[in-house]
Parts: sequence; C-alpha cells; structure tokens
Amino acid sequence: MLPIAYSEFAQIFRNRAVLISNLVMPLVASAFFIYRRDMFAQIGSLGYIAAVLVFTVGAFSLYTTAVTTLSARRQDLFLKRLRSTAAGDPAILSGLTLPVALTAFVQVVVILGVFAVVSGRPANVALLAVAILATFVMMLALALATAGLTGSPEQAQVTTLPISLATIAVASWVGITGTESFTLLKRLLPGGSATELIVNTWNGGVPLAESLPLLAPTLGWVVVAIVLALRLFRWEPRR
Amino acid sequence: MGYAEKTSGAPYRPVIDVDRLNVSYGDFHAVKDLSFRVEQGELYALLGTNGAGKTSALEVIEGHRRASSGAVRVFGESPADRRAVRPRMGIMLQESGFSADLTVTESVRLVGRLSDRSDSVDRVLGIVDLAHKAATRVGQLSGGEKRRLDFATTVYGRPELIFLDEPTTGLDIQSRDALWEAVEELRGNGSTVILTTHYLEEAQQHADRIGLMHRGALRSQGTVAELTRKLPAAIQFSLSPGAPVPPLGAARPAGPAYQIETFELQADLKRLLDWADLHDVDLHGLSAAPTRLDDVFRAIETDPVPTPTR
Repeated sequence: MLPIAYSEFAQIFRNRAVLISNLVMPLVASAFFIYRRDMFAQIGSLGYIAAVLVFTVGAFSLYTTAVTTLSARRQDLFLKRLRSTAAGDPAILSGLTLPVALTAFVQVVVILGVFAVVSGRPANVALLAVAILATFVMMLALALATAGLTGSPEQAQVTTLPISLATIAVASWVGITGTESFTLLKRLLPGGSATELIVNTWNGGVPLAESLPLLAPTLGWVVVAIVLALRLFRWEPRR
Repeated sequence: MGYAEKTSGAPYRPVIDVDRLNVSYGDFHAVKDLSFRVEQGELYALLGTNGAGKTSALEVIEGHRRASSGAVRVFGESPADRRAVRPRMGIMLQESGFSADLTVTESVRLVGRLSDRSDSVDRVLGIVDLAHKAATRVGQLSGGEKRRLDFATTVYGRPELIFLDEPTTGLDIQSRDALWEAVEELRGNGSTVILTTHYLEEAQQHADRIGLMHRGALRSQGTVAELTRKLPAAIQFSLSPGAPVPPLGAARPAGPAYQIETFELQADLKRLLDWADLHDVDLHGLSAAPTRLDDVFRAIETDPVPTPTR
C-alpha cells in the first residue's frame, strides 16, 4: 500500500489541475468563510461555519479529487497495471486514496485550527473529530461509487456535482435552519446528521447523550456508500 | 528456484494448466472449452484472429478476469491468488498502463516493489535501452518507449513466468531484436513464456509450441512443424507457350502460372526438375516454398469444423 501511496503523492503534487482543485480552491473558499465569519455566524452560528468548512473540504479536496484520481488511473489502465502485481485490491484502493484523504484531513485540521484561533475553540473536540472522520469515510465511499460511473477525469467535473453540491446544500440548510423542523428528513439526508453533530460539538450546550445518536445516520450513509461502491466501482474502462 | 525444483518428488504439474475454460459476456461466448498446458521453460504462443478469444483467455490465466467455467492453475495455484503467483510472474500488458506523471525509474520501482521481486532498476532499463530516460516522465515517452518500459517492468526480478501480450507492436527493429534477446536469455535461465502476437513470423521463429484460436475455440496446437505439415507445400512455375505440362497430377493453372501442392516437397521438386531436364522444358520463375504459419492460419479461418485439441 505504501509504495502506491507514495507514488500517488508524487502524482498529485506534479499535476497542476489536481493541485488547484485539491488544495487551492477549498483553501480560498474556507478563507472567505473565516474572513466573513461574523456575517455567517449571524445567519447560522459558529458551528454552522465549522460544518460548511468541513463539507467544503470533504466535497472538493476529498470527494471530487478522489473521483478524478480514480477515473484518471482507470482510464490510463494504471489500475490494471497495479492489479497485475502482487498487491491486493484493498491495498491498491487504500494506497490510491490515502494521500487524498490525508491531504484533506490536514487541510481540515489547519482550517478549523485557524477558525478556532480567531473565533474560539470548539466545545467538544473529541466528538468533533469523530464527526469529521465519519463524514470523510462517507465521502470517500461515495467517491468510489461515483468513480464507477465516471469514465474519465473530464467527466468527473460533471458527475461529482450532484453529491458535492447536495452535501454542501444540506450542510447549509441544516446549519442555518437547525433541526427543529423537518427533523427526520434533515437527519436522514446525506450529511444532515453529521452537520448537526458538528454544529453541536462546536457550539456546545447539547448533552453528549443527545449528540451521539446522530452518528448512526452518518454511519448508515457510510454503509450505503460502501454497498454502492462495491456494486458500481470498476477496475477497467468500459470497452 | 524453478518450479520443477520446487515440486521435485511431488506429482508432475505443468506451469500453466487450462482445463475446459469458458468465458462468456452475457450471451456472447468468448472462450469455448479451451484446454492446454504449458511446461516449464517453454515459449507457448497463443495466436488467433481478432476476436478469437485469446485476450479473454489470457486475462483469466493472468488472474485479471474470472472464468465462467473450467479450471485454470498457474504453478498449481489459482491465478486469482495474487500473493501466491504474482511474485513469480511478469505481465506485459497489451496497453502500457503507466501514470504520465511518474518518471521511468519511479514506474519500474513501483511495479517491482509491488511484485515482491528484487532487482536493479538500472539493469532492466539497460536491457530496453531506456537508462538515458530514467528521470523522464512517462507522459513524455514515445509509444515505442512505453512498450520498452512495459517490458522492463515485466522482466524486473527475472520472473519464472512471463506473459507477453503483443510485445513488439510499435517497436523498431533494433528494439525488437533486443527484446527477443532478453527473452531468450530469460528462457535460458528456465523462465516460461506465454506470447500473443499478430506477427506470425515472430511466433514461428521463437515459439516452441503454438495454439491457434478461432471464434473462441482452440482449433489446433503443436510445434510449427506439426502445424504446417497438415497443409501441402507449393511449387510454382510458368511455362513457355506450347510447352508440355508436367505429368504430375497435382499441377494446375493458377493464373498465368502452374502450381503443385505437395506433402513431399523435396521428392516432388526433384521429379519435376528431372522431368523438365528430360524434356528440355524451361520452368520460368520456379519457386518451392514450405507451408508457412500464415497458410495454417488462413486454413483455420476458413475451416468450419473444429478439430480436437487435447
């Protein structure tokens, strides 16, 4: 797995287009949210800003980059090349997605770190970390499933839009309006309960016993995404 | 350690054993009851027309695809068991499959490490004359250079079994010669080779045995001599107007020329020359050609009846 991850790191940092979508765009968007934090806090709360930051990185740095990378590697038959070695499928997939996931994780830590410095630290860091982890696993599994439906890196610009925009829209809807209305719907939407969990852990004031069950729908989406990935992911281009 | 050494004292097993292999895609039956064996040290060429099923068969044997039915064993193991078989085999794919953003050295090192074999990157790049391109990114290589890079990763660590899928497509003559020289060196050390190619002369020159596939089935297999002796050789010549026709029953007009098809080329040629000498007849443009693999190939394409293969 590690040799694949190492080579993937090299490829990401040598490809300008991936570097811009993977690093620069989410950083610019996050900088804007942090810079205008007073305005966004008035619309929602600081927790809402934290949730939008997490989903911006999750949608662009992680999800979109993973779909683009996997479809490019499949189109180049690089996946087939890796499968002609002794490496197993889980090791290949882990090696290919580890650098993207690690980059996204470091980004979110840095961005939320900066946000915490300028606006105050979150109420429950441990549970926030769990919520971010669950969100990232869900986005990664959705990336594998979407990659199965994406023929080329160019197509990824289109096929990633529904999920990336939908998850950010859900995060904004839940973050701004809360879950007093349409509670079940909001919690069952992909990213809905994760957003509520991030808002609660950042703002504080919600007992742990009320926040923990919010992990269940997020983990449910992880399972759904993994099942979709197992059904849809392809190792070779369609002929 | 060679396979034969490893299994000495154990029951005999070939390096590759394909038994009634079938591969289907929906209603399309790509490979039909394919059976053959490859012994250690052999170079076995699997040839066929486009769509004959050889790539599907090869992908199952390499472990890239599941069989619809039948059994395939490589070194006595399932080819899908990558941990068991891949460290012992090198696979040259039909298309390169390298990342454009990695350098030549990084590509060889990556595939080598993942194959669990050890070797020197410089050594294998030297074999394919790519040492001067070691730091070049793969995206900047020509098509032929990518094929050579593919071969370099294939022979990294001197594997016991080598798959060569259209290995010389896009290569210039010097590169082809270098590639075959490297293959022969590996065979000298006991490596087994499976080859598919559209260059029949390469198969004829290098293969110990050849399997000919057509429409999913193995229609014939054997050495070049065994395959070609099933078809007659040809003697061709032209005669001056009014000259007598040789009394060899098989002589017949073929355009402006005459042709004799024979299974005893030397004897019939001698008879023809003796007759011409005796009757003072000039045989213009006389040629005598043994049966070539191309002729066997064409005959199989037009032969509707499958022949037993094993």
